[in-house]
Amino acid sequence: MSVPAFSSERDLARRALDTARARGATYADVRFVRRQVEDAQVKNAALEMVDRTDTLGFSVRAVAEGAWGFAASSVLTAAEADRIAALAVEVARASAITKIADVRLAPVHAVTATYETPVKIDPWSLSFDDRLRLLFDADAAMRRAQPKLRTTRASYEIWREDKLFLSSEGADIAQRMVETGCSIAAESVGDGEQQIRSYPASGGRNQNKAGWEFAQKWDLAGNAPRVADEAMALLTAKQCPQDVRTTLILSANQVMLQTHESCGHPIEHDRALGTEAAFAGTSFLTADALGSYRYGSDIVNMRIDSTTPGGLGTFGYDDEGVPATTGWAVKDGTFVGYLMSRETAATLGKPSNGTMRADGWARLPLIRMTNVSLMPGKAGTLNDLIADTDDGIFMDTNRSWSIDDRRFNFQFGTQIGWLIKGGKLTEMVRNPTYTGITPEFWGSCDAICSEPEWSIWGTPNCGKGQPMQVGHTGHGAAPARFRNVKVGVVK
Amino acid sequence: MSGILRGEKELRALADAALRASTADETEVFLNVRGIALTRYANAFIHQNVVSTEVTVRVRAVRGKRVALISSDRLDREGVEKAARDASELAALVPENPRFAGLVAPMPIPSALSAYAERTAEATPLDRAKAVKRICDPARAKGLTAAGFVQTTVGEIAIANSKGVWAYSPRTSSEAEVVAIGDDGSAYADRASRDFGDLDVAGAADEAIAKAVAAQHPRDLEPGTFEVVLEPYAVDDIVGFLSQQLTGLAIEEGRSFVGGRIGERVTGPITLVDDPFDPEAVPMPFDYEGHPATRVTLIEQGIVRAVVYDSQTAARAGVANTGHALPPNPFMSVAPMHTRLEGGDKTREQLIRDTKRGLLVTRFHYTRWVHQLRTIVTGMTREGTFLIENGEIAAPVKNLRFTQSYADALLGTLGIGRDVRLIPGFMGTSRRVPALHLSAFTFTGATRY
Repeated sequence: MSVPAFSSERDLARRALDTARARGATYADVRFVRRQVEDAQVKNAALEMVDRTDTLGFSVRAVAEGAWGFAASSVLTAAEADRIAALAVEVARASAITKIADVRLAPVHAVTATYETPVKIDPWSLSFDDRLRLLFDADAAMRRAQPKLRTTRASYEIWREDKLFLSSEGADIAQRMVETGCSIAAESVGDGEQQIRSYPASGGRNQNKAGWEFAQKWDLAGNAPRVADEAMALLTAKQCPQDVRTTLILSANQVMLQTHESCGHPIEHDRALGTEAAFAGTSFLTADALGSYRYGSDIVNMRIDSTTPGGLGTFGYDDEGVPATTGWAVKDGTFVGYLMSRETAATLGKPSNGTMRADGWARLPLIRMTNVSLMPGKAGTLNDLIADTDDGIFMDTNRSWSIDDRRFNFQFGTQIGWLIKGGKLTEMVRNPTYTGITPEFWGSCDAICSEPEWSIWGTPNCGKGQPMQVGHTGHGAAPARFRNVKVGVVK
Repeated sequence: MSGILRGEKELRALADAALRASTADETEVFLNVRGIALTRYANAFIHQNVVSTEVTVRVRAVRGKRVALISSDRLDREGVEKAARDASELAALVPENPRFAGLVAPMPIPSALSAYAERTAEATPLDRAKAVKRICDPARAKGLTAAGFVQTTVGEIAIANSKGVWAYSPRTSSEAEVVAIGDDGSAYADRASRDFGDLDVAGAADEAIAKAVAAQHPRDLEPGTFEVVLEPYAVDDIVGFLSQQLTGLAIEEGRSFVGGRIGERVTGPITLVDDPFDPEAVPMPFDYEGHPATRVTLIEQGIVRAVVYDSQTAARAGVANTGHALPPNPFMSVAPMHTRLEGGDKTREQLIRDTKRGLLVTRFHYTRWVHQLRTIVTGMTREGTFLIENGEIAAPVKNLRFTQSYADALLGTLGIGRDVRLIPGFMGTSRRVPALHLSAFTFTGATRY
């Protein structure tokens, strides 16, 4: 694999930049994006769907009269490059009729560079049969273990995105990103109950910036019988205890989503500044909280890192040409850092930490989580953590997630839970849920498992923006323990 | 943006070229051209303003029971022929799907009111910016700020298959979303129309601004079970979730609350129909397989009457295809796309007046299934929640979390509003819903604002 040359696209990009400047743009950038995706799903022992998508287009983002404009097209001609560049400037001039202040951008060093996701096994180099075998083997193993399952699913996605970014400041950056994701799920129905178990994460996929080695490492077929057995067992399991406060241990894949929702989103600087108010919402982490707000307990450390190997938020440069960075969002329990764009960073007098990403060529770059991770603690293995817990509940793999528009009140459900008694997992419970207020919840975190239990997870389905964009974000997580948590909302 | 449309003649020629290029036994071609123009504002100025011309070419090739999909955005002769060839080749590689029931056969497409309005197609960036100004200026005058968007879209959908199906529809839509925001409280309103010239931007602005003024300084309220009056924006969420369950696929997968209950009472006295020909919505007389869409009464005065099907779920269930296929995807192949909860005889004010003690909820936020089969959903209230006492709005209250079976909530339907509001959805879908007065809705948590 190698980063494409983008010869003809670069010519069109330069032309579009020239046109934008000639029309009055004081800043402009052009992105060409080619995205190739293959999705396959085996359902109930048959190939339900295989879909290969190949899209290529470009966009122009421009500042004129101190305001933003954006236009995009999939028609790759010189005339269309001129039309789209001119349209972006026309849109910017229209934006200016409501302008309060001119757009200001934090400086960035314009570079000529390339970047490529490191992979061991290029998923596109395998035969289609080799990829499908992973799914059929796992699906068959679930059905062999539990023939009464109502639905079994096994799926993968392989993804390759080539991007070219040119700016009026002189940047010229070409990148190739590769992702691989996989999932299996077993669904059971009976006696008025419906249950699901999935692996390695919740109903969507676990995905990484990686090659096919990522799909292989999870051993879908090897885990399929356990997943199937648990799905059937849940039909007759005891209901999760109701409306009680107890000690809660979360699996790593649930800590991952808890981190995404209750740390990743509220540290988005656009939310804090109110520019997502109508849709995604705002944030309790307002400007006056930066550097002093008690977000969690002393052991809670959240990292913003777009260099984490395998993370879906790992890249060379963001969609404003800012290089990948590392930094802290929460250090020793205190909120210390936002995810920023060049425009929002300028309001703090800081450089951008490079978090602007767009969903393909047709959408505007937005502040997106890169890899926002809960760093490992010192609690040893998951077994050590359970052994250290006299009484509580262990909850595993997300089933339901909801949080308010400032990211205070959340409620999550997981697919399965086990009561903990005397340092041991005892009875399985179904329909487990827990709820809380973000800073109180993270403030109650008293143990996080150690480095060997920590891994990087991917959420390939994060919605944000209008028009809606789907973002791919990464989250490192290890199992963690929380005290005095309200569980059992569903009767 | 009308210039981006290719027209029926050109799309048919491209679809025919793709069908000719295919070497598969059966082939389906889906072509979609869309222009999306969205002017987004926050803090009472435009901060994001986008115009894009987007295309989808999707070819489904079938060899016996081997099925493959290829999607691209190259809408020219070479592009569509390549997609057809690639799909044909991929279909030769994939294993059989014994459940595949074939592509749909051609049937006459009924006529429907045009979903296309020239004034929407011709709207300019300046037109949208002026609409935003119409929202932000009065908000500022009341000491508020505002956030939301004004959007116009234009598009065309064409579907052809090798059995002779041809369906084509041009369409437009426009929408104005307003959140008016004060120092300690906010409120939401939305308007939609096929015709940008008829889009009631001022109505949305005035509604949100007036409600935001009343929403300032909300007080704490202990969670519990309350009578509620739900504005149409909140009712839309209930109808959307339950509609996911009113399909042949949901019954097949055992996750529908109406499975095995056709003919039984499942809600209070509401009537829910799926009406692709509703002249007040965004009509579409065919589905995404090119099969004629049909009007289906889903729930009639609380009695579940039917669910909707696409070609595949209908074949497996041994029933007629109702023409409700979505674009191919692995999780939801079929859905009601034009649902209408029939209006009642009460004004919004009467619904409030009929409530001794309860909550008026403007909108729900971040709603998710907790338990599909039991239709339990959790979510938050957002942007306009008020306590009603003795038939009057007594005070704004801080937002609450609910965990509630939506079907059970509808069992306690006490009143139905007569104003049926159009709420746009994804992929050209829409719902029309009134306000509802329900006897019991369970709130399980509170937040800090």
